[in-house]
Amino acid sequence: MKLILTINGREEQIEILAPEPACRFRLGDGDEREASVETPQPGVFSVLLDGRSYDAFVEETPAGMMVVVIDGHRFEIEARDPRRWSRKSGGRAGDAVQSILSPMPGKVVRVLVAVGDAVEAGQGIVVVEAMKMQNELKAARVGTMLTVPAKEGATVVAGELLATIA
Amino acid sequence: MFRKVLIANRGEIAVRVIRTLREMGIGTVAVFSDPDRTSLHVRMADEAERLGPGPSAESYLRIDRILDAARKHGAEAIHPGYGFLSENAEFAAACEEAGIVFIGPSAASIRAMGSKTAARRTAIAAGAPVVPGTDQPVTLEQLRAFAATHGYPVLLKAVAGGGGKGMRRVDSEGELESAFRNASSEAERAFRSADIYVEKLIERPRHIEIQLLGDRHGNMVHLGERECSIQRRHQKVIEECPSPLVALHPEMRHEMGQAAIRAAQAAGYYNAGTVEFLVDQDRRFYFLEMNTRLQVEHPVTELVTGLDLVRHQVEIAAGARLPFTQDEIGWRGSAIECRIYAEDPYNDFLPYPGKITRLRRPLGPGVRIDGCIYEGWVVPMEYDPLLAKLTVWAGTREHAVDRLIRALREYDVAGIRTNIAFFRQILEDQEFRAAHLHTGFIEEFFRRASPREVPADFAVVAALVAALHTAHRRPAEAAAASTTASRWLEAGRGELLR
Repeated sequence: MKLILTINGREEQIEILAPEPACRFRLGDGDEREASVETPQPGVFSVLLDGRSYDAFVEETPAGMMVVVIDGHRFEIEARDPRRWSRKSGGRAGDAVQSILSPMPGKVVRVLVAVGDAVEAGQGIVVVEAMKMQNELKAARVGTMLTVPAKEGATVVAGELLATIA
Repeated sequence: MFRKVLIANRGEIAVRVIRTLREMGIGTVAVFSDPDRTSLHVRMADEAERLGPGPSAESYLRIDRILDAARKHGAEAIHPGYGFLSENAEFAAACEEAGIVFIGPSAASIRAMGSKTAARRTAIAAGAPVVPGTDQPVTLEQLRAFAATHGYPVLLKAVAGGGGKGMRRVDSEGELESAFRNASSEAERAFRSADIYVEKLIERPRHIEIQLLGDRHGNMVHLGERECSIQRRHQKVIEECPSPLVALHPEMRHEMGQAAIRAAQAAGYYNAGTVEFLVDQDRRFYFLEMNTRLQVEHPVTELVTGLDLVRHQVEIAAGARLPFTQDEIGWRGSAIECRIYAEDPYNDFLPYPGKITRLRRPLGPGVRIDGCIYEGWVVPMEYDPLLAKLTVWAGTREHAVDRLIRALREYDVAGIRTNIAFFRQILEDQEFRAAHLHTGFIEEFFRRASPREVPADFAVVAALVAALHTAHRRPAEAAAASTTASRWLEAGRGELLR
């Protein structure tokens, strides 16, 4: 199995040559390596690689990313099959649209704009609240409100789309 | 002694209080809001009563409903915890009128120490040093005279103010006039009052506080200090006892302790309370405010003195005398606490509530956790993000820091974000280890610290784990991928054979 991984923003290809527990794999065009891998609990991987022991914790974010934590170090990872069309391709390059995403799970307490409104850079768009803290999300640049899916009173997850500016 | 006590709080402090009450053989009554129905304090208590919907104003701040719950369940006393109604004089008075003992000071003491200005007046009257300042509006001439007496830098503040509006730092006489004019007009615009007062600016202050315990018979002792200089957004995140500064200058404990006792006794104080001081670079200390309740960070004092502060609070409320004198209080070793919050330290410390999908807690020598979380619990978005306090004890500060790093390495909370990894960075920092502490430490840390170095094979293991996890998640897709891969392989061989 081959996968293209984006690890903290850097692309890397990995090929799994043998599954766990006696795992063999290859990163990029490097040498084949072996590791003993066990999953004592869902989302927990115990990995022995070159005599070192690693306890790795995996979780999935609502935005479809994986977060792997090893000894407090955090890796945000996106995986895709090299033979498929990448959903992402071109999406980020076209900077014509600014997406405003919720930086935290919380509740939309105020929507300050409507579709079609002209906005200035730095203008407040949506206010999200969690744990007694309000966070006003602002326009990064001048433009027109293209969509405003955020609704006052709605609960949102981290990374949820609140508005787009064209 | 009481037979049953109601805890008018939630979260880790409600759990903390229940634990001691249970050790004392006292029945416990929890109260809860709708989102807290499955919270640990409700599950742990002997009895529980619903207060209302999520917003605090409709639940944990409803004096009438809390007193109704106490009467209904036959609780003879109420422990208020911290936050919510704990420093509300009206609540303390309402308990008294209802014939229910408030486990804390009198309503009159809360009033005398409740607001910063009232507390400052009480402290000055008791001879405690305060940060030099005017409190009253000043003219430019008065300002000039103040700075000449107390020296630069000074801080101009709006009398009606808050939120930094109308606030100006002035470093020299030359800047004074324009700073005063700008601060005045900013205050005028923000608060429709141009009145400005002035304070001596304490640079790189340390926050050191004194724990007090007094009975209703006029006896009061101090239990030493806690250093709480590591703060983010003006909220403490790491606290320790002893203060490393006081450890080098032991006479400070006695001096600050006596100043705190004088200020508290001037307010007729009893039960547990804390007097907070700012300490400047020359080790002069200034009264800041008094917290008329149990502090979040009380465990560090408990570990070093060997006392259970909640037990003493309950005994004092029941009329007991302090069972020890000042001379009998001892301090042994070093304790450090960090506050585990549901927040993202690398995104402005924004809160991050949600479901805890996996939890592994540190164990082993010298580790204490006061928490309220469990696997499967949804951290509600309505309340404070404090999940747990991790506190360690060791013989020396150096060992305590090492032990805390070790414990943090064992702590795994998944499903939400926490500041656990951030604490490791702070504790491994040379400036922290050298105890060069001040309230601006974290801002400075973010400016100077380089990101933690990632050991060589960590990214390799992360990649391997991500790939295996993807295969687990999508077994069908993975199988499809491998058959395609083998077809490719065949195709490749075919090429070679051609």
